[in-house]
Amino acid sequence: MERARIAGSPVALEAAIAEAARLVAASKQALIAGLGTDVAGARAAIALARRTGAVIDHMHAESLLRALDVVRSSGVMLTTPTEVDVGADTLLLAGPILQVGQFQQHIFAPTHRDHGAIERRIFWLCPGTDAAKAPSRRSAIRPIGRTPRELPALLAALRARVAGRPVGRAAVSAKLLEETARDLKASRFGVAIWSAAELDALTVEMLCGLVDDLNATTRFSALPLLPADNLLGALQVCGWLTGFPMRTGFGRLDPHHDPWLFDGRRLVDSGEADCVIWISAYRAAAPPWRRAPPTIALTADAAGFESPPRVHIAVGTPAVDHGAVHHLPLTGTLAAVAASQPSNMISVADAISRIAAALPDDGARRC
Amino acid sequence: MLTRIAGGRVIDPANGRDGAGDVWMRDGRIIEAPMDARADVTYDAAGKIVMAGAIDIHSHIAGWNVNTARLLLPEHHRAALQRPAATPLALAGWSTFETGCRYATMGFTTVVEPAVSPHYALHAHLELADTPIIDKATLAVLGNDDYLLSLLRAKASGSAIEDYVAWILDMSRSIGVKVVNAGGAAAFKENVRAFSFDDVVPSYGVSSRQIVKALQRAVNNLGVPHPLHVHCNNLGLAGNVETALTTIAAAEGLPLHLAHLQFYGYGKEGERGFSSAAARLAEAVNAAAEVTIDVGQVMFGPTVTISADVLRQFNARDQARPKKWLIFDGDGNGAGIVPYDYRRNDFYNAVQWAVGLELFLLIDNPRQVFFTTDHPNGAPFTTYPDIFALLMSRDLRAKWIADLPPAAMAVTTLASIAREYTLPEIAAMTRAAPARLFGLSDRGHLGPGAVADVAIYEDDADRARMFRVASLVFKDGELVARDGRVTRRSWGRALTVAPQRDRAVDRRMKDYYEERYGLSDEFVKVPAHALGRPQPFEFVPCRS
Repeated sequence: MERARIAGSPVALEAAIAEAARLVAASKQALIAGLGTDVAGARAAIALARRTGAVIDHMHAESLLRALDVVRSSGVMLTTPTEVDVGADTLLLAGPILQVGQFQQHIFAPTHRDHGAIERRIFWLCPGTDAAKAPSRRSAIRPIGRTPRELPALLAALRARVAGRPVGRAAVSAKLLEETARDLKASRFGVAIWSAAELDALTVEMLCGLVDDLNATTRFSALPLLPADNLLGALQVCGWLTGFPMRTGFGRLDPHHDPWLFDGRRLVDSGEADCVIWISAYRAAAPPWRRAPPTIALTADAAGFESPPRVHIAVGTPAVDHGAVHHLPLTGTLAAVAASQPSNMISVADAISRIAAALPDDGARRC
Repeated sequence: MLTRIAGGRVIDPANGRDGAGDVWMRDGRIIEAPMDARADVTYDAAGKIVMAGAIDIHSHIAGWNVNTARLLLPEHHRAALQRPAATPLALAGWSTFETGCRYATMGFTTVVEPAVSPHYALHAHLELADTPIIDKATLAVLGNDDYLLSLLRAKASGSAIEDYVAWILDMSRSIGVKVVNAGGAAAFKENVRAFSFDDVVPSYGVSSRQIVKALQRAVNNLGVPHPLHVHCNNLGLAGNVETALTTIAAAEGLPLHLAHLQFYGYGKEGERGFSSAAARLAEAVNAAAEVTIDVGQVMFGPTVTISADVLRQFNARDQARPKKWLIFDGDGNGAGIVPYDYRRNDFYNAVQWAVGLELFLLIDNPRQVFFTTDHPNGAPFTTYPDIFALLMSRDLRAKWIADLPPAAMAVTTLASIAREYTLPEIAAMTRAAPARLFGLSDRGHLGPGAVADVAIYEDDADRARMFRVASLVFKDGELVARDGRVTRRSWGRALTVAPQRDRAVDRRMKDYYEERYGLSDEFVKVPAHALGRPQPFEFVPCRS
């Protein structure tokens, strides 16, 4: 398999590294995007951004920042997948969730385990077309409302009934609303689950408010499902190295965070970014934009690209080709995972470190 | 390389030294003054104060909780603000990089992150590996975890508990064990809203006292140098001095460390039913030689409270300033992050400030009372220099007291306390004693063989200015900071223990994780190679 290409033609890895370094050194505003990589790769990417004044973004930053927006402006209760697994007797699903592949079997598991097995009750608000696709035991799932469009108003009505306030017409019958409010309050440990890619910030805030209100008399918590590509791992690394999530730039030496200013797509569309390092090591995702400045792609292969990137370095898949630390959706933690099929494919961290080492010294900025 | 620090006032209470003299270093260690040798480098310290590098025993600087607080409060970060001096946390440095650099420039060379949930140990160590210059260590949080509570419910033997604790310490690469509101988080999962020392966790049928005593014995029997580190029940509540006194009495002759005692120094006197009970607490500590405490001093200004005491944080969420918070129903303890603003003109905050200083000043033995703000819960660590100054000057305290609500000062004894800490007492409290408390025989002093961590300060009458910026700081014998600027960035090590255990526990834990979670226990491990630094750990011996 070809390991490296320049403008679509196979080259030695060294030549690709050198060309990548030349592109980065010649750029006025580099963008490091995609960021589908393990902790070591994210560390290396942020170190390179700090050194070159680049911007850091992630391919799923949109969903993430929507979820974070609620955390940064109101109160939220959160729990872990493992706590859901062993403790939740009630689940409140909000909107479609089946797009998020991970953790499904745990959500739809028949029982929870601590202190004796109890049948788990599942309420699903506005599942949309997911309702027909739920994996198993459809009878144990109670759908409430239909299309996701109805969800904000339904949540508001439900929250009002949980708090004992009157409501007018809702998307479902007053009786169903009443029963649902009563059943949620009767749960022992309930968890609200939604897909961060599906719900807008105000809907999430309403849902989090409902969870908080339920805690007046019982225990309830929440678990947003986030896209993969080590999104949460990259978030954590960004957090400890910069204090901020992704969409952070180093143009002013200190990291600055601005979800609009440092949106990778905006930087590319506006022509502000004149060099892109696109990272997608878990799968060969291509960037979501069409016309791009010179791009250095660190992906499994460049198949998805409309035209070949200026530089392509084929990288190994974390935890497959090489050992990796990344976020495990089943535990909600960062964990060290051994390579399942060790190979000599280069890792993102190595590739970036070699590009950084090949930068001319005068390209290095004070930090 | 042979290095000489010449002619400073060397204050080294562990070795009974206080006077002008030299300190010599070679290959990262302090050495005897050599006969007939010429130093390769000499630093003139005449007129300056020379101490060992300081050790912070309780500061929340890394891990999931801390990182989530960063993400919750972008406005606290320096780069988000045009006026950095306006917010204390901005000065605290909110990234791991700034944390290490700012500690080092103040002359601190070892810092303990005191609340790492075992499942998040790798995360915490990754952050610590990215924290430059200083050495660090973590405490593993136990006492609300299903495995331990199930052992206690089953009336398992002491050795079964010891094996489990040893396994946790080994997996999580910790230096000791902390228990946070023992049983309180587990009870909260079952909708209990208040939990005291003799209350019982419903499904497990074990009391907070039983959990604390079991862990205290296990830590002691394993020979782990640091005694069980206890965050008591009922943090922050009026009248909770009774909880602290009950917990101190429960030490029963075995070592026990009580964290951030200031938050438990509250009586119910006065018009508002909230008063300082620090004098009673100090008296109890003075009478219990086996008990050590750290203060958790409050200073005024905006900060954020980060705690594994999820029950307390849940109950405090309505007091968030600004109004946002995150309550984490996690495995074992969980956590809560609640921003807070301690205000000078707030009666309760002013009492809290006074309680902390009273504890510092009324506990007689500086080796029993440790210097902390419970960073960032009472105040960010960047306020330490101001606290040193307050401890060293009654006049300065009087000036502060004059600006605070008289009604608050009337329910404390602070104004009547004349004591002023001396520099040797500050050195004992921040160097010699912490090293002893963690079994770090080669730290906290300047005797031959000690790690060459040295802080040199101007002998400035303004003690806050003196301690804010060390003149010179050496880490492992290398100059790392000069006048507040980092001159060399090394990465430091995490100090850890590995007590002996019966390896049969490894199998039991593997089965437990398979059974309870359907997962391999691999995710709990902190392998050195995962941290990306050449030698991330340094092992501290256990007592045999």
